[in-house]
Amino acid sequence: MSDQGAMRDHWYPVGMTKQLTAGGRDTLLMGEPIRVYLDNGAPAVSDGTGRSLPVIDRFGHVWTSLGAPNRDLFTIPEADQPGRRLVDVGVCRVRCSPLRAVENFLDIAHFPFVHTDILGSEPHTEVQRYEVEIREDVDEVWATKVKFYQPQAAKSAEGGITTDYMYRVCAPTCSVLYKTCPPKPGEWDVIALFVQPLTETLCEVWPWMALYDDAAEMTDLIHFQQMIFVQDRSVLENQLPALLPLDPGMEIPTRADMTSIAYRRWLKRHGFTYGAQLVAA
Amino acid sequence: MATELFSIAGQVDAPGFAPWIERHARRIGVGVTLLQAASDHVEIEVEGPPALLDAMEMGCLLGPIEVWVESIVRERVCAAGA
Amino acid sequence: MTTDWTPAALSRDIPAASAAPGQLGETDLAIWRSASGRIAAWSDRCPHRGMRLSHGFVRGERLSCIYHGWGYGEGGQCVRIPAHPELTPPEAIKVPVFAAAEASGVVWVADGTPAGAPPEFPGFEGFRSLRIHAPATVLARAFGGAGHVIEGTLGPCAVVALIQPLPGNVSALHLLAPEGAGPATLDALSLAAEALRRTAEAQAEQAEEETA
Repeated sequence: MSDQGAMRDHWYPVGMTKQLTAGGRDTLLMGEPIRVYLDNGAPAVSDGTGRSLPVIDRFGHVWTSLGAPNRDLFTIPEADQPGRRLVDVGVCRVRCSPLRAVENFLDIAHFPFVHTDILGSEPHTEVQRYEVEIREDVDEVWATKVKFYQPQAAKSAEGGITTDYMYRVCAPTCSVLYKTCPPKPGEWDVIALFVQPLTETLCEVWPWMALYDDAAEMTDLIHFQQMIFVQDRSVLENQLPALLPLDPGMEIPTRADMTSIAYRRWLKRHGFTYGAQLVAA
Repeated sequence: MATELFSIAGQVDAPGFAPWIERHARRIGVGVTLLQAASDHVEIEVEGPPALLDAMEMGCLLGPIEVWVESIVRERVCAAGA
Repeated sequence: MTTDWTPAALSRDIPAASAAPGQLGETDLAIWRSASGRIAAWSDRCPHRGMRLSHGFVRGERLSCIYHGWGYGEGGQCVRIPAHPELTPPEAIKVPVFAAAEASGVVWVADGTPAGAPPEFPGFEGFRSLRIHAPATVLARAFGGAGHVIEGTLGPCAVVALIQPLPGNVSALHLLAPEGAGPATLDALSLAAEALRRTAEAQAEQAEEETA
């Protein structure tokens, strides 16, 4: 077993509530076998020895922990705003470190190259200065005032716009982004990435959205987000080393990587090292 | 080209930090001079194009595993065209 | 026959303006050809954030990383960082480069400066590369020879077999066929190569069981 370290006592997504059955889903959490199932109609999780694990049913997903979480799962206040459509996108298995999946979600500079003509396009590649902080009161990483030109920012977008983004890392393997909402100026669309660490180099990613888009078919919304993530997967499975380095001595982070650096600093400070490597290699 | 003073504060007294800084500066192509090293802060002078000074800040903010950088304060020394 | 060069791919498998993964010993390579036809072998890792450059894209004489578009030109020199278009990348930002040369339709690679040019095999041209789950010695023996460069007969015709040892008891077989061989001959050669693969893999498995 790899060192779960300080990440053991945190919450992780392990399934979509709607898909649960009494028979359950056998899966892994940080290298340990678990079963996620319905027990008298309520979500339940047990580990390989049959021990019951704590459960939270939130944002359409079941959350659990191998350890003893000393705080509640984060909240996404926007999830409760009337008029939003809550979209469970489904699952995408990726052969990469769970931490790399989150880091990629925080990145905008790859849009023109990985999501060409959708979330970005050449020559609009410049990353403008934005702000990043670790908010001590909530212990979260926040990036704000992020702007990027996008040819088709969302399913509901027609033509190119400069999209505003905010990013939030609210748990070791979870991030929420807020972006310009084309049909409803002044509001933010919310897209979250919940990552289940199966092992240090294998994860299942559960994207989730809370959108004001009321025109698109649900399946189109899901397909759009799945297509984006499949494009990301081709990168995530081909980064060296497989583990996320907490020493950038073999890399060249620039100002465009500011959110990545903040996320890695936050991981380092808390000893969140499952899926990370401590030295540059 | 610009020259800036970086005041790097935190738990930075690991002996490996200074060579790490020099190695990283070489890798990204900026000039660096170590001015002062104390247990809770390190001062370096960094010379290069503005985007690479930013990159140097990014690298040092994370740094090697044995140090914890709390903050980096940057001060323009000169912006002469070199 | 010995050479400092390692056969890493066939020229025909890397057309102009494309990149492919390759190997030199334990080192992962991005082997790529520029639009004008120049072949190169670089470390398969973008210095920025470690993405494999063999997944990158070629425009003109540059190879760019698919992740953030960092572009690299001659000698592995970084020439473009799209997120910071105003920056002229410094000379320090470089991808490690290996020697690469082509002869008889084979891409040869080497670390450092090899003595002389890679070997030529007049009358032969690159035909197929196969990845075989058997150590190089086992593969050579299955072919009925020894070493990494074997001239002999396989199926219907004379061939040159270039055997490249890969990490993890795996080998690549780069097969050269007679120039101008007809489709029927090449089809038969393909079948013979597949049969050789099966034989070598069975022998490797047997050898492994005997040591276990």
